[in-house]
Amino acid sequence: MSETTPAATSTVDSEEDQTELLISEGDLAADYLERLLDITDTDGDIDMDVRDGRAVVAIVGDHLKAFIGPRGATLDALQDLTRLAVAQQTGTRSRLMLDIGGHRAQRKEELIDLAQRTAEEVIASGETARLAPMNAFERKIVHDAISGYDELETESEGEDPGRRVVIFLRNA
Amino acid sequence: MLDAALEHLVRGIVDHPDEVQVDLITERRNRVLEVRVHPEDVGKVIGRGGRTARALRQVMSGVGGRDVRVEILD
Repeated sequence: MSETTPAATSTVDSEEDQTELLISEGDLAADYLERLLDITDTDGDIDMDVRDGRAVVAIVGDHLKAFIGPRGATLDALQDLTRLAVAQQTGTRSRLMLDIGGHRAQRKEELIDLAQRTAEEVIASGETARLAPMNAFERKIVHDAISGYDELETESEGEDPGRRVVIFLRNA
Repeated sequence: MLDAALEHLVRGIVDHPDEVQVDLITERRNRVLEVRVHPEDVGKVIGRGGRTARALRQVMSGVGGRDVRVEILD
């Protein structure tokens, strides 16, 4: 088609390229993390997946506390480093998600539970609720959980690291 | 083990991995990991606002304990 613009063509190409890129991101991340586990003599298996347009890498095992840290601080740090190591190889910024010992999966369940309990309270009392500060990933989980309630709205307020989700009645 | 772990973490994120050197120095109260990299890689290892250096410190104290310090030499 002569009217096909170069931009449109590259969009089609980039979708396939994108999936390939994400798969190779997972492989590169696994190599980086596997070697770290070897050096530190840590038992752990590495799972890789592609979800919601991101590479998702998980270290699975029973004795991974040292790599999770207080409130996931070490996990977050290792995710930063893994993204940099992947970007170093691919030349593209990585949005890879890392989980270790099921920490993020468990945190997600806790946040959905918190969102639902708070939603019921706001509906019952009509009073606006402000949650504790969370990172962007955690706030998104709460926003998504509340989006199922027609009578409620959410916003984020404040600046990181103090940025928090506010839940309130629609039209209130 | 600590020096090898840090050397691996740093080698993965720089342009000149062969020029990464980590020395473990045992002091009375601390173990210090001294990191040397190619001059062009210093910025990468420190990161924007010190974020990468902070991440390296966080992971190394997770792996080695709270007495582990990471110093990036330039």
